[in-house]
Amino acid sequence: MRRNTAFLILLLAFALVVAACSDSEDSGTTTTTAAPDATTAAPDATTTTAAGSDTTAATTAPDAGFEGKAVANAAGCAEDYTGRVNTITAIDEFTVEFALCQPHPAFLEQIAFGVFGIQPEEHLEATSGAPLDNPIGTGPYSLQEWVRGDSIIYTRNDNYYGDVAPHATAVLNWATESSGRLIELQSGDSFGMTFPGPEDFATIEGDSNLELINKPEANIFYVGMTNTFEPFNNVDVRQAIAQGIDRQRIVDTFYPPGSEVASHFTPCSVEFGCEGESWYDFDVEAAKALLAGAGLADGFSTTIYYRDVTRGYLPTPGNVATDIQAQLLENLNIDAEVVVLESGEFIEQCSNVGECDGIHLLGWTGDYPHVTNFFDPHFGATVLQFGDPYPEIYEPLLTASTTTDPAVQGPAYEEANNAIKQLVPMVPVAHSASAFGALASVEGAYAPAWGQVLFNFWDNGTDTMVFTQGNEPISLYCSDETDGESLRACAQVVEALYGYEPDGTVKPQLATECAPNEEGSVWTCSLRQGVVFHDGSNFDANDVVASFAAGLDAASPLHTGNTGSWVYYEALWNGLMNAPAE
Amino acid sequence: MLAFITRRTLLAIPVLFGIMVVVFLLIRAIPGEPCSAILGEQATVEACERFNEANGLNDPIWVQLAIYIGNVLTFNLGESIQFSVPVSQLLIERLPLTIELAMSALIIAVVVGVPLGIIAARRHNTAIDAGTMAFANIGVSMPVFWLGLMLAYLFAVVLKDTPFALPPGGRLSAGVISVPYYVVWNWNLTEGSTWAGINEFVGNFVIFNSFITGQWSVWWDAVQHMILPAITLATIPMAIIARITRSSLLEAMNKDYIRTARSKGATETRVVSKHGLRNSLLPVVTIIGLQLGLLLGGAVLTETVFRLAGVGTALFDAITGRDYAVVQGFTVIIAAGYVVVNLLVDLSYGYLDPRIRVSK
Repeated sequence: MRRNTAFLILLLAFALVVAACSDSEDSGTTTTTAAPDATTAAPDATTTTAAGSDTTAATTAPDAGFEGKAVANAAGCAEDYTGRVNTITAIDEFTVEFALCQPHPAFLEQIAFGVFGIQPEEHLEATSGAPLDNPIGTGPYSLQEWVRGDSIIYTRNDNYYGDVAPHATAVLNWATESSGRLIELQSGDSFGMTFPGPEDFATIEGDSNLELINKPEANIFYVGMTNTFEPFNNVDVRQAIAQGIDRQRIVDTFYPPGSEVASHFTPCSVEFGCEGESWYDFDVEAAKALLAGAGLADGFSTTIYYRDVTRGYLPTPGNVATDIQAQLLENLNIDAEVVVLESGEFIEQCSNVGECDGIHLLGWTGDYPHVTNFFDPHFGATVLQFGDPYPEIYEPLLTASTTTDPAVQGPAYEEANNAIKQLVPMVPVAHSASAFGALASVEGAYAPAWGQVLFNFWDNGTDTMVFTQGNEPISLYCSDETDGESLRACAQVVEALYGYEPDGTVKPQLATECAPNEEGSVWTCSLRQGVVFHDGSNFDANDVVASFAAGLDAASPLHTGNTGSWVYYEALWNGLMNAPAE
Repeated sequence: MLAFITRRTLLAIPVLFGIMVVVFLLIRAIPGEPCSAILGEQATVEACERFNEANGLNDPIWVQLAIYIGNVLTFNLGESIQFSVPVSQLLIERLPLTIELAMSALIIAVVVGVPLGIIAARRHNTAIDAGTMAFANIGVSMPVFWLGLMLAYLFAVVLKDTPFALPPGGRLSAGVISVPYYVVWNWNLTEGSTWAGINEFVGNFVIFNSFITGQWSVWWDAVQHMILPAITLATIPMAIIARITRSSLLEAMNKDYIRTARSKGATETRVVSKHGLRNSLLPVVTIIGLQLGLLLGGAVLTETVFRLAGVGTALFDAITGRDYAVVQGFTVIIAAGYVVVNLLVDLSYGYLDPRIRVSK
């Protein structure tokens, strides 16, 4: 028995060495296929910790009888496979390895996103990959009941490894209008609310019983231009528009207090977001000179497209569109017709295929706190939103997104930002502020910059905590949802390997550490031991594999979900594993 | 009577069929696809293709219509694209609240509106007449959304911590749960069965359920939560009922039989209540029936202000979310409800007016 164990340890070590030495970008590399019944060896129980990892987690020897599972893309990192993930393997009971097809500098920030929460393998199988209204997690609360249309009731998890909630029950309800949420708060029926309207900020600030909690919002509102349509194929015209719009006026007039004029596309709170030169100043004379140089001294006619949908980055789209229309005419003699498109049509035409022949108003709210989440979906080599992609922008972005070396990333993002300024695919206008409201008597009330607010940190001095958001969740299986209301509801119950501190820095959660190899293409996660799911089952590596497989592996029997579209898995991991042929 | 009911029921079938087809086509005429509405901005073209394929949205329109009609004929209203639950399940969850709200509002409207109309008719062309009608019309003039918010603010915030305080919204207070009667009484219901669905539907009438099971704290909590939305919703029907009662009673009071009753020595109260009011009720009952039908269709604004998960908000969300099955299913049920209400109104004519009873 001892000889067999030693042999298996040697075999595992040899496999790890081979994996580390292989070229992960070689499209011809054959990858290991999923081996669900492979017996793994029990590594040394002593764990080493690195800086930034959780050193407080208790460690025990992994179960020697543990049968680690794995999921793999059958074609490996083939050339036509756009996805990031090659394999996910349960090395042992408390170790999971993510082998990627290229280095991923934002791996930790990304896996901390609540969509990548972990549920028990057995539960996912029992629900056929669709625990839509009965999630089981490791979070500070378990789900007691979803009273559809009315509220979600949570019960405190007394065995939670983190900060146990001070109240036994938490209730999440919803009111679509800010005024309705505010009345709930003022009446004392609710202790916290999301996103009061700008018109309610003064009311909350003027009431000594209430508290306005500023929520750092990582978003951007921009004015996009499509370079495949004249005259926006002329860089002088785009630069003229960049300098001919008084962005400060837009922010002062239409945005809530705390909002900022954008100096760069990415908020400066995101690392590398503000490398390079700041955006142009408002300079009408310079703008006119540029137009004159382009032969358009008398202006021209164009169209401003927008959708009448309120977003954090654009609370009053119609008003802003009208103001931009007025500014273009007044400052540059550009006669712009404002056209409202239905939301789906707008996204399809203006964002997905870049066929809006003029100016379009859009924005972005970050999913996770890394600059790649802002730059790559907008300025990547395959993104058509602004017409023909700009190699001056996407080439340095590609360099930066495939390395974990900050010495390389910094200059690359500087180069990209400067190119964006020079080429003006869009004009960044505003980073909008938002806020939560709370009763002043609540201790610990906060509004996180990233991730979702967790109720266990709010102490209202009673046994029941009530929080009001804007809408009912669509489902409680957030791996297949995209709306903030669902993600907030899930976050109380289901946790991911990492999480976010209130200021956005990532922190270990169900993993005590995820460490990369030298190039950042293989991430090995050590899991927190002794964690128990709400159903009493023990958390182990196979749960991580199953949870990720459900979302990432199109061939998995667990790949069901709610809508079956797995939008975030597909978007953030650049594609699904084992996707069916087109 | 039975023949009358049968005939009216059979006549309702083509009406419902027509409504089904019209709604089916209208909802699909709205710009925008369910995919982008439900999956959001980040949905890729490929994700939308899979979504449409999985939900039968790539089929020709006539195929979708045929499938839909076939399902309805087998009492299958389809499944919500957004929530992945049967439409019938959403109805079980949402319709009881709407019925309770509608009935509560209608009771308030009738209890206040009919006496107002009587007072106005009895004090015709006096200050009381003008005043009562003005009071009724104020209810019509105030936007429901504004009135609801003002009532909520007044009773939940201004009057907080007083005996007159009322909750600002929701069906029950946070954490309060109404235990269904079949759980309280330990009924063994097979999950997923029709009988279980019917009992779940009845159990979702929270005020009724808590009353019959003796959950008095829950009952009182539910009643308190229903007061403000019911008053808000009642203002418009109340004004209409008051005006119809007034005009109908005025007309009846000018008839010869009224003069005959007075000449025979009947008291004025008896003249009004037994002779005047009864003979003026037909148009009032008609209006009450129409108002009930309207209320059952869901009051989106009231439900939104008071955080009530009723048919109105469900329909609104389904329309904006392009959840075709929910829109179609709910509309059919509301239309059927309208037909039933109108049938009951017609039947009541026979009770109220013996002449109609005899002629039938």
